[in-house]
Amino acid sequence: MALIQPDLTKELKKYGAFDFNACYNCGTCTSVCTLSTEDNSFPREMVRYSVLGLEDDLKSSLKPWLCYYCGQCTENCPQEASPGELMMSLRRWLTAKYDWTGLSGLFYKSWPLTVLGFILILAAEIGFAARLHFHIDRIIYYGHYFEMFSILGVFTIILLPNIIRMWYFTLLKRKIKAPIKAYYTAISDLIVHMFTQKRSLDCDDNKFRWFEHFILVIGYLSLLFTTVFLNWFETSNLFINILGYLESAVIFIVTFDFVLSRIKKNKEMNKSSQPSDWFFVIWLLFMGITAFVVRLFIDIHLIDIHSTVMNSWSWVYMFHLMILGQWALIIVPFGKWTHFLYRSFGMYFAKIEELAK
Amino acid sequence: MTDNQNAAATCLDETQFDVMVIGAGIAGAESALKLGDMGYKVLLVEKEPSIGGKMILLSKVFPTLDCAACITTPKVSETARHPNITIHTLTEVETIQRNSDRHFSVQLNKKPRYVVEKDCTGCQECENVCPVITKDQFQFNLTARKAVYIPFNIANPRIALIDIENCMLCGACEKACPSNCIDFTQKEQQLQITAKSVIVATGFKLFDPISIERYGYGRYKNVITSMQMERELAPTRPFNNVLRPSDGKIPDKIAYVFCTGSRDHTVGNPICSQVCCMYSTKQAQLLMGALPMADISLYYINIRAFGKGYNEFYLQAKDMGANYVKGKIGKITEKENGNLILRFEDILTGKVTEKEHDMVVLSVGLLANPAITKVFKGEKLELDPINYVQQPNMLQSPAQTSLEGVFVAGTATGPMDIPDTIMSAGAAATETSSYLKRLS
Repeated sequence: MALIQPDLTKELKKYGAFDFNACYNCGTCTSVCTLSTEDNSFPREMVRYSVLGLEDDLKSSLKPWLCYYCGQCTENCPQEASPGELMMSLRRWLTAKYDWTGLSGLFYKSWPLTVLGFILILAAEIGFAARLHFHIDRIIYYGHYFEMFSILGVFTIILLPNIIRMWYFTLLKRKIKAPIKAYYTAISDLIVHMFTQKRSLDCDDNKFRWFEHFILVIGYLSLLFTTVFLNWFETSNLFINILGYLESAVIFIVTFDFVLSRIKKNKEMNKSSQPSDWFFVIWLLFMGITAFVVRLFIDIHLIDIHSTVMNSWSWVYMFHLMILGQWALIIVPFGKWTHFLYRSFGMYFAKIEELAK
Repeated sequence: MTDNQNAAATCLDETQFDVMVIGAGIAGAESALKLGDMGYKVLLVEKEPSIGGKMILLSKVFPTLDCAACITTPKVSETARHPNITIHTLTEVETIQRNSDRHFSVQLNKKPRYVVEKDCTGCQECENVCPVITKDQFQFNLTARKAVYIPFNIANPRIALIDIENCMLCGACEKACPSNCIDFTQKEQQLQITAKSVIVATGFKLFDPISIERYGYGRYKNVITSMQMERELAPTRPFNNVLRPSDGKIPDKIAYVFCTGSRDHTVGNPICSQVCCMYSTKQAQLLMGALPMADISLYYINIRAFGKGYNEFYLQAKDMGANYVKGKIGKITEKENGNLILRFEDILTGKVTEKEHDMVVLSVGLLANPAITKVFKGEKLELDPINYVQQPNMLQSPAQTSLEGVFVAGTATGPMDIPDTIMSAGAAATETSSYLKRLS
């Protein structure tokens, strides 16, 4: 028996949803959506669930992850119920539901709390540097270790359990019995969607946005690899050095364009940015710029990574480390970054569901 | 005999009237008739070349399936021949100004017909010789007409006019006319009249679906509007059969797209047009009669069959085999053979579905026609938020407007069907009459 919870409307609005109660069930949104198929028809079903507050049905649905927010549904909605923004809000809400720590929900609903988190991380960084007596060589040395441990820690403690919870809600709880082989055969889908966002190409007039997003993902992941495993800041290998420059440049150029389009609001998907969206693009932009500048300063000897003395240029590295800490400990595990993971797993699970039939 | 003498007496002064009715559709004509019968002197102003408005062009009316022309034409003739009613066609109101004696000074702009009205016999000899062919607006562009033309078969007055925009001034009609009534020297006339009261019966405009690009109207030949289908089904229909425009094939899978331009914020018309569900249902019944083998599917959001006998009429259409599908059409695409693919979400199953049809009828909505507000000088005729004439006292005095002595009838107040329009026109006539009684 489904439990109807009208209060869910209020909850979803805290995640950015507009007046989806205006929906009169005409289905225009679903029929103009180029990604909607006979087996996976959305967003009207999601609007319906949200209006009625069918929390379990929402929580077990993979459909929010199948949407790439081209904005056609919102543009054509006769009731101006903004189904596209509801889908976006549902993705935020689901992220909070998957998160076992509950921090995602708190951060999404309250930007001051997010800022407080950022301040705490800054304080921890300063404290940490103070304990190292502001010896820049040791800060950079431990900063590198911090990167490695934060990736490992965040993944094993937060993200992995959350993905397992997602699997539990969307497949196990719905009693979808998929053979083990399905999990194996669907892996190619997981990889393809995670790294290429191929599905978003089916959204109308979206080729350039797809390309930007694609090189951003590739640039981001490879910069992660270059800094963490190839130790970009301390390497003397010319190839790795140039690679790092390229990757960080890609990140800040693309994210600069993303920030700009959110300011200009020229596309439907950019019209209603939540604080979480701003944090995501701005921190990514800063990360690209600061990584680039730090390595540049090292190359032109403004920062000496072997010196024990902290000069004024070294604060650029401190700033970079702050951005990195805030990114790795707040935005990645609890913020918009998780969409990258949940969306690809959403498609992976959807494929498994399809194979199970 | 006495009647005729009275008529002659009242016709002496052609500039002073008790009432001026703006718009000679069924609302205006009905108000004019009622007031004329009461003995008031009425001026009926119509901007089109014929009176009768939109109803005279319809096929049949719901829910009785009476022939629309058979109801309208007698009424229109009665109006035209009424001794107390003066009609100006092709005439627009320029300004209305209230005088110190509470009467209205009105300036009218009568456009030239280039045909001497009293001499034209409607023989159509001119049409036969005219070399110009252009779109026929009274058949909603389904067929063509000449530059000199009689608006439509049952037009009233049934006399010719020249569409000077498209005329090439060859003079062929002038030579062919047996009564020498073509007169290219006619000019616009400014007429000054006074009226003690005004009835606004300016009706509605039809929504133009060209603005909804997803439906392809204007690009896909077999996507037509309900008004075009109305013409295809009318007794005075252009093809004498129901044909689809692209290749003249008799369609056998026809779809109706409800709420085209109604209940839609994106086109700026958030309200229900009140008649589309029913006229589409009527057309479905007529089509099932005309084309017994055809499948008719009607894609709707909600069926609004609220009037007397309407729900029964809807159920009757369903029983006859009309296929009502809950789900608004999102997108239409055209195939090479001119057939159309309709994409929608079937609300009952919750699945995106595509269906092929060989002809699509867009059930277009009604829009306000607010231009009349501009003619009032020195005072303002208030409109409601959707640009229909505001009724400040809707429950007690539905024909009352924000201006004293100015009344409103029919769809100028909002979308309504024919029975409601007739009642609204009656209400406007009685309210005007009681106002005139108080005035004198």
